[in-house]
Amino acid sequence: MIPGRRLTLAGAALGSVVVLAGCGGSGASGAELSVGASYMPQPVSADMAAGFLTITNKGGTKDELTSVTSDSAGEITMHETTGGAMEEVNSFDVPAHGQLVFKSGGNHLMFEKLKRRPKQGDTITLKLKFAESGPLTVEMPVKSATYNPSTGH
Amino acid sequence: MRKKTFAAAALLAAATLTLSACGSGDDATSPVTVVSGDTTNKAATVLDQPFEKPDLVLTDTLGKKYDLRAETKGRPTLIYFGYTHCPDVCPLTMSNIAVAKKALSKADQAKLRVVFVTTDPARDTPSELGKWLKGIDPQFIGLTGDFATIQAGARTLGISIEPTHKDKKTGKTVSVHGTQVMAFSPKTDGGYVLYGENATVDDYTKDLPKIIKGENP
Repeated sequence: MIPGRRLTLAGAALGSVVVLAGCGGSGASGAELSVGASYMPQPVSADMAAGFLTITNKGGTKDELTSVTSDSAGEITMHETTGGAMEEVNSFDVPAHGQLVFKSGGNHLMFEKLKRRPKQGDTITLKLKFAESGPLTVEMPVKSATYNPSTGH
Repeated sequence: MRKKTFAAAALLAAATLTLSACGSGDDATSPVTVVSGDTTNKAATVLDQPFEKPDLVLTDTLGKKYDLRAETKGRPTLIYFGYTHCPDVCPLTMSNIAVAKKALSKADQAKLRVVFVTTDPARDTPSELGKWLKGIDPQFIGLTGDFATIQAGARTLGISIEPTHKDKKTGKTVSVHGTQVMAFSPKTDGGYVLYGENATVDDYTKDLPKIIKGENP
């Protein structure tokens, strides 16, 4: 299986088809996704919270995070932050052999209309959906309001 | 063996092509890399030329007139421009200061003024602001008012904000917060120390006792 695929790819690389396949998202080799470093800082109220995580793609094909849902929140949207302005985006690329990083000050998940105010020590269960790969379930721990992942407290 | 090498090289080439073809994916992650640089050593920037405290007369969380210069005269004061519909940086910044403040003596806590000025006055009414700040630190002062007035005040501190608007493409609401906290000296009432949004609880905990006295952190 694997050698066969390599040969196919080797052949395709000679043509320009690969460029199109690379962006078409219909590649058969597939993305290999995993999620790490997830946390939610304890929010001020149940109206709004932020969530952070890193999606790693070990596969040779890019994928796309298309939605995030949770039973704990009425709505979860994805945002990018540029120079203090926060903008909603409909999807984020998970590059081949790369990472999609949500972190404080950058991209973040925005939770709205939470069933109750998450408290430090709680866990929020999320479902991530992708354009190509199957859904992933994430158990996101709620940390203190001032949690800093680089120091761990 | 040779074939294998070739296949591997082709795979690599294919991967490279894919990456360059999907440049937008790279762009989404690259600013994050920059942010991750260790800046803990320079959380505070002491300004050679202090800023004058903005002449802002706004409305506090009780709906009363609040004259920033008169109310905070001779007080160590931290000012931040943000909005409550902000899940990430605004509550983090205010929570960092709130936690650091608790490490001060009661007397010093009573001296400190922490002022949150909304950049989204249409949504941040006095009561909305009050509700939000109560969840962080009930002693924090929340100010709202006319956006043009707030924007002009921010501009005198070199902080640029824009009105909340609808994104043309998505129709979603976009709000803007400042990226800096400015500390004003109780001795001169000048804005003499700047904190970027990477400043942590530890940075503020270390620096607040000095700022209370108007000393350089």
